Amino acid sequence: MGARLLLAEDTRDLNRALTTVLEHEGHQVVSVYDGEEALDRIHEGGFDGIILDIMMPKKDGLEVLRELRAAGVFTPVLLLTAKAEVDDRVVGLDAGADDYLTKPFAMKELLARVRSMARRREEYAVEQLSFGDISLNAETFELSASNAVRLSVKEFELMQVLIKNAGRDLTSSYLLGQVWHGENEADKDTLQLYVSYLRGKLKWVGSSVTVSSAGTGFKLMKGE
Amino acid sequence: MAEKVTPDDIYGEHRANMEKVLDRLVGKAMELRERTREEQGLDPVEHILARIKSDQSMREKLARKGLPITTEAALTQVNDALGVRIVCAFLNDVYAMRDHLASDPGVEVVEERDYILHAKPNGYRSYHMILHTEEGYYAEVQLRTISMDTWAALEHHLQYKKERVGNQNLIVRELKRCADELASTDVSMQTLRDAILGVD
Repeated sequence: MGARLLLAEDTRDLNRALTTVLEHEGHQVVSVYDGEEALDRIHEGGFDGIILDIMMPKKDGLEVLRELRAAGVFTPVLLLTAKAEVDDRVVGLDAGADDYLTKPFAMKELLARVRSMARRREEYAVEQLSFGDISLNAETFELSASNAVRLSVKEFELMQVLIKNAGRDLTSSYLLGQVWHGENEADKDTLQLYVSYLRGKLKWVGSSVTVSSAGTGFKLMKGE
Repeated sequence: MAEKVTPDDIYGEHRANMEKVLDRLVGKAMELRERTREEQGLDPVEHILARIKSDQSMREKLARKGLPITTEAALTQVNDALGVRIVCAFLNDVYAMRDHLASDPGVEVVEERDYILHAKPNGYRSYHMILHTEEGYYAEVQLRTISMDTWAALEHHLQYKKERVGNQNLIVRELKRCADELASTDVSMQTLRDAILGVD
C-alpha cells in the first residue's frame, strides 16, 4: 500500500520528477518548495514519511528537521543532500533524520529507501507504549493501569499520539490530522468526544493520567 | 448423643420474615428507580432479581464450608441467604444505586468489593455489597450494567458446562477480551449519555 509523503525540494524540475515517480509507485505526495511551507504542512499532520532537501530557501532541511523533532513529530525523515560531505550527513542523522540520500541519486534507490521508511513506520506502530501508570498495547488495543479495557481504532490512535507526545500541548488541528487524516466528517466536536471517551476510560482503568485542555488543544499529563 | 435437630426448612421460622426483608430491599431500589424516572425521564434499572438462597444450595454451602447444617449457621455464618441483583442501564447508575442502598438506615454495609474498577482476572465485573439488616439478616447485593450481566451469564455457562469442548485457554482469553470491550463500550455509552444530557 502507498504511503502519504511530504516532499520538500526547491528545485522545481526535480520536485516535479520525484513527485511523478513516487505517485507512479502508488504513494500520495504533497510537494512543497521551501522549509516554512514544509513545517506548516507537517504540523497539519498525517504523513507516513517526509523527504527533505537540505538546501532550501526560508528554512533549510536541517532547521525543519530540528523543529519538527522538538515539536514531538516522529514521522520518519529521509534527507536529500547535494553535498557528499560526511559532516552534513552526521549533522542530519544527529538532528533526527532516519536516512539520507546523496545527490545525484538513482530513482530506484530513492524508491527503495521510501519503501524501507514506510516499513519502519509500520514497525513503529507495533509496540507497547507506556506513560505514567498506563500501558497501551498496539497489538490488542488494550489500555491498562490497575484495570483494563479495549479501545476502538480511533481511540487507540488518539491515545497513541497523546502518549508519544506526552506533556506537550497538541493543537486540535494536529490531532485531527494525525488521527483522522483530514476525513471530511471529523471536526473539533469529534475530537472533543473522543477525548471525553479517553478521559472516561482512563478513569475506569484506575489511572491517574489525565488529558487536560491546553489552549485550543490537549495535553496528556501524569496525575498526582 | 444429642444432635441439634435441623428443621425441614433450613431457615425454619425465619423464612416469612426473610421474605419481608427481601421485599423491603427491593422497595428501596425501586425508590431510586422511580425518583430518577421522574427527574430525568430515564429508568436507571433494567431489572431486579431477588431470591432467598434455596434450601438445597444453603445446605451444600454449609457442608462445603465445614459448618453445622443449622438455621443459626445459615443466618450468621453465610452472608448470602438473601440475594439481590440489580442490573442497571448505565455505569453511573450502578454507583448511584450503591449510594442509595448504603444510605438506608435499616442496613449496615459490612463489606464492599468494586469489581468494576478492579475487574477479576477473568474479566468479571460487578459491584458487590454485603448488607446486614436491622432484622439481623445478611444480604448480598450485586450491582452491574446490562453488558456486565450479559457477560456474566455466558461465563456462568463456561463454569458449569460439564463436557468442555474447544480450546479452553482460547475461550477464557477471548471471554476476557469481550469483557474488556464491553467495559469500554459501557464507558463510551456513559460519555454519550452525559453529552446528550449536557452533563459535564
